[in-house]
Amino acid sequence: MTTTHPRRRRAALTAAILSAALVLTACGSSDDSSDTSSDKTAAKTDETHTVKAGNGDIKVPNAPKRVVTIGNTDLPFIDMGGKPVGVTGVEESELSLLPEDQRATYEKATDLGDEVDLEKVASLKPDLILVQIPDAEFKKIEKQLEAIAPTAFWGLDTEWRTLADSIADAGNVKDALDSQKADYEARIAEMKQKYAGLIKNTKFVNLDRYSSSDPGTFVIADIGCVEIAQEDIGLNFPKAAAGADPLAYTSLPFEQLTKLSKYNVITYPADAKGQPTEAFAPVVQTNTWKELSTVKSGDALGVFCPGNNSYGAVLRYLASLDTALASLPAAKQ
Amino acid sequence: MTDLALGRPVGPDTRTVPGPRRRLIGLAVALAVLLGLLVASMMIGSTAIPPTVVWDALFHPSKDIDQFAVRDFRLPRTVVGLVVGMALGVSGALIQALTRNPLADAGILGLNAGASFAVTVAVGLLGIRDIQGYMWFAFGGALIVTLTVLVLGSTRRGQSPVMMVLAGLCVGSVLMGAGSALQLTNPDAFDVMRSWDAGSIVSRPLDLLWPTLPFFAIALVLAFAVSGPLNAMALGDELAVAQGVRLVRTRIIAIIALTLLAGGATAIAGPIGFVGLMVPHVARWIVGPDQRWIFAYSALLAPILLLSSDILGRVVMRPGEIPVGIVTAFVGAPVLIALVRQKKASGL
Repeated sequence: MTTTHPRRRRAALTAAILSAALVLTACGSSDDSSDTSSDKTAAKTDETHTVKAGNGDIKVPNAPKRVVTIGNTDLPFIDMGGKPVGVTGVEESELSLLPEDQRATYEKATDLGDEVDLEKVASLKPDLILVQIPDAEFKKIEKQLEAIAPTAFWGLDTEWRTLADSIADAGNVKDALDSQKADYEARIAEMKQKYAGLIKNTKFVNLDRYSSSDPGTFVIADIGCVEIAQEDIGLNFPKAAAGADPLAYTSLPFEQLTKLSKYNVITYPADAKGQPTEAFAPVVQTNTWKELSTVKSGDALGVFCPGNNSYGAVLRYLASLDTALASLPAAKQ
Repeated sequence: MTDLALGRPVGPDTRTVPGPRRRLIGLAVALAVLLGLLVASMMIGSTAIPPTVVWDALFHPSKDIDQFAVRDFRLPRTVVGLVVGMALGVSGALIQALTRNPLADAGILGLNAGASFAVTVAVGLLGIRDIQGYMWFAFGGALIVTLTVLVLGSTRRGQSPVMMVLAGLCVGSVLMGAGSALQLTNPDAFDVMRSWDAGSIVSRPLDLLWPTLPFFAIALVLAFAVSGPLNAMALGDELAVAQGVRLVRTRIIAIIALTLLAGGATAIAGPIGFVGLMVPHVARWIVGPDQRWIFAYSALLAPILLLSSDILGRVVMRPGEIPVGIVTAFVGAPVLIALVRQKKASGL
């Protein structure tokens, strides 16, 4: 499952492109200085181990003290209890979904901005850099980052569980990850048992609408948190044919809402309080939505998805889904 | 009032201009086609809804879910397509007549850039996200920019079409640059402007349209009122003055009318290109250089182009749709090229 938020991907892309020129000048010092930097980094930690990353086997300190996270590694690392010294830009819409303690950790770290300032990265004297940005953009700054500190990179196609494992291994937060994993497995098993009837007999559809969606359109979303419900719990959501683009890539006009009557249950994006998200609100305001039999019977469920790229966020999604499913008349029988 | 069609020599390369009877018949045919498209626009959509349901939705309303789809989605986009199309067509004809430039459209006076910049400011700096909010910014932006261009394009001897075009291009370029800078630094503005710039008549409720109708009505009256003087001005300022045309007044009225029409249309639907450029050409090819007929034909042909493009956009990528602004370019460009290559009558 690809877990990267499109906007963050774009931000990372922009960051890498715009910083490339800066990097070439700012890090244009001699090889001697780079070697010195590496020597200093090595001197900080005595013990190292090797982690497998997208850029090869990387030797990292066993107990890194000053971790910089770039791209999509910042929130997963923080979610596992990591305390980075430098983070890249995360939009307020994402930050607002974080638990307070995680947001405080994020805000305490030095903001490297959307346009990653490599001089600032170097000034933080990190002993580990964790990166997830587009491959092509990483190539442009790879050498400069590696000159600053050991750098572990993962491409955007890295499955979120694999990324979590790798970040935990590199960032020395495996204990927290193991605890989250145990909670996750337990919750999945519980929900599978609790909703066995729904899994077997109910046709679900998951809708979404993004802030970038054209007016008057929505999508049948088969990517994101719904993949957890579909693949791990086994709920019957529509899915794109093998080899085809995800259904979520096709914007549907509101007129297509009339075709949703064939589903037993609709899930849609909601905030932590269960209210439709701002982007999705235009859908629920239509008369067509209000007259859908599924909606009128109370089988349209708002589900909170704070992210699907770390176990903590996914656990909060599962809690919301559990609460929503429990409210279904079919689940109460 | 001078009838230019009759006053011009008929050379070997010039089409014979049809008489009033044939023009009226053509107008009636265009009206019939437009009515057919209005019906088609109600019948055809992303989902298959039986004609009887469409009929009932309009004349025997109930809470049937398909009826809501017809009333809430198809009806507004049809009405908006009609009004916006008429506005774009007549404003295009006005601006081409005013500037004596067959390549002129609303963009040439910086009107689209003004509307676009105002929407960017509304979204990016003021946080206004819904079209009901930023539509009036677009309207205001178009008005302010056109007035600015009018002032900048004025000389001691009055308004110069060339000066106005140059001023429009300059102001438009500056605003486009400033708008782009704002969008690049503000993802929210970028997202909204990406949709808005494509030009669409989807999700524009009728409540959005009603307040603009008086502006459109006034502008149409003004446009037809100056169509006669514009005919005389096509012969040159001196001859027009000799025929009693008041140049400054005519130009100011024409600019007010085209600003209200094009500004209102752009505010509602975003910058839909090609309609205002192409339709007056087609009208001129059919009826000759008489602005009165060109305006009348443009008022019907433009919504025909817009509605047929919108219907096409609904079906070619089912169940998804293509914004009408994209389809008009694909539909209009080949037609215009073919006409321009075949005929010489569309010159001003």
